[in-house]
Amino acid sequence: MRRTLLSGLMLGGLLGGCVTANVDEMTFDAPVAGMTDGSIVILGRRHAPDYDTEPDFIDCIGNHISRGSESISVIPERQFVDALYPWFEPRTAPLSIESVGRLMILPSVANKLEDLGLNYMIWIDGRTQDTNSSGSMTCGIGPTGAGCFGFGTWGTESEYEATIWNFDDGAEVGKMSALTSGQSYMPAVVVPIPIIAPVQDTACDSLGTQLLQYLSAGS
Amino acid sequence: MVERLLDSMTLGRKVQRILTLIILLVLAACTSREVIVEGTFPTPLVDPVPVSVGVLFTQEFREHELVDDATGRGEVSWRVSTGTAQVEFWSTLFPAFFQNVVFIESYEDLQTYDVDAVLIPQVADVQYAIPLYTNVKVYEIWMRYNLALVEPEQIIDEENATISLENMQPFAEWPLTAYGKTPTAFMQSDIDAVNLAAVMALRDAGANFITSFLRVPGVMDWIENPEEAQ
Repeated sequence: MRRTLLSGLMLGGLLGGCVTANVDEMTFDAPVAGMTDGSIVILGRRHAPDYDTEPDFIDCIGNHISRGSESISVIPERQFVDALYPWFEPRTAPLSIESVGRLMILPSVANKLEDLGLNYMIWIDGRTQDTNSSGSMTCGIGPTGAGCFGFGTWGTESEYEATIWNFDDGAEVGKMSALTSGQSYMPAVVVPIPIIAPVQDTACDSLGTQLLQYLSAGS
Repeated sequence: MVERLLDSMTLGRKVQRILTLIILLVLAACTSREVIVEGTFPTPLVDPVPVSVGVLFTQEFREHELVDDATGRGEVSWRVSTGTAQVEFWSTLFPAFFQNVVFIESYEDLQTYDVDAVLIPQVADVQYAIPLYTNVKVYEIWMRYNLALVEPEQIIDEENATISLENMQPFAEWPLTAYGKTPTAFMQSDIDAVNLAAVMALRDAGANFITSFLRVPGVMDWIENPEEAQ
């Protein structure tokens, strides 16, 4: 019993001690006013040549905001982009709020945006990537069974920036960013045990919380 | 070779045959990938161009596929069939983009419908890149089309009562390029990633078509006066 407890404590310490995540938050513009009732859309930037902002990260931020405030309606990214096709594709997506003004000249686009009742458009640009890896692991299979032995470790870094456009004022009103990093480990004695640093989840929580504070300020 | 290897083992005939089949299937799966591009395509949000257009999808267009056979060790053969998705995508886009669209499938259609022009899209080239070859963690698809706008009379072969594209002289002809990419993702297969990149390329082709159509030489004159500009 004592041995089991000791093993459990050691494993818990190992898991807690190895997984680290650093959060760096920056807000360039202080919140000026919150929204009581209204809708927002969160969109990922996808025009860089070597990466796309992950759709599941965009969903994660949207869910975070929806959970945090019942009065804010978050339009799903895919639904919005399809409804306004082809004006928010990587080739055509507006890079500044002024470009949205030019898009509004098209009656069909202006009507659709009015129907959606959009208050804020939030662009997220960034990605999560593995930075370094080391260690080695050997796996084998034999008549009596299979197993692995070794140790592997890798770093992960997330860097995201959110840009907020206020549709009522036709202005860019804020920028926020989250930078998180962590080290994951995978020891293997017969069975590999992955100890994954929740780097992207932490970035999502961090950026989601900042955006929620911004959108709810004063309400 | 597989059968000779199995012959050296003391196995029954039936077991040998099953094992041969399994091994050959596994080897085939490792060396070739087949993608039939599938996706859902939205109707574009545009104010229709006030013309009546016949759209002709050629047999090559309907059955287009990219075939890339492996040439060396470690390479994988790819067959990417885009034809069905091409037809599905452009059949959604054109009726929203032009005020009136009919799909021309036969000589009789050309005789029956009164259209201002016939639009003929053709796939000139499709290329792909996967992380295995580029070391960049994205799957990419490039597409190049040749589009032509032609008077209906130009493609009618009255002698043989058929459609002929051989001697047609389009009044507007232009190339259209498209690009789609998708990053590598956990638990996503090569096939799914290439399919997604192809769907993105099709969407990009549509975006490029919609935003560039009115700048194509000859098109504005035709739209302003569909009867005479040709």
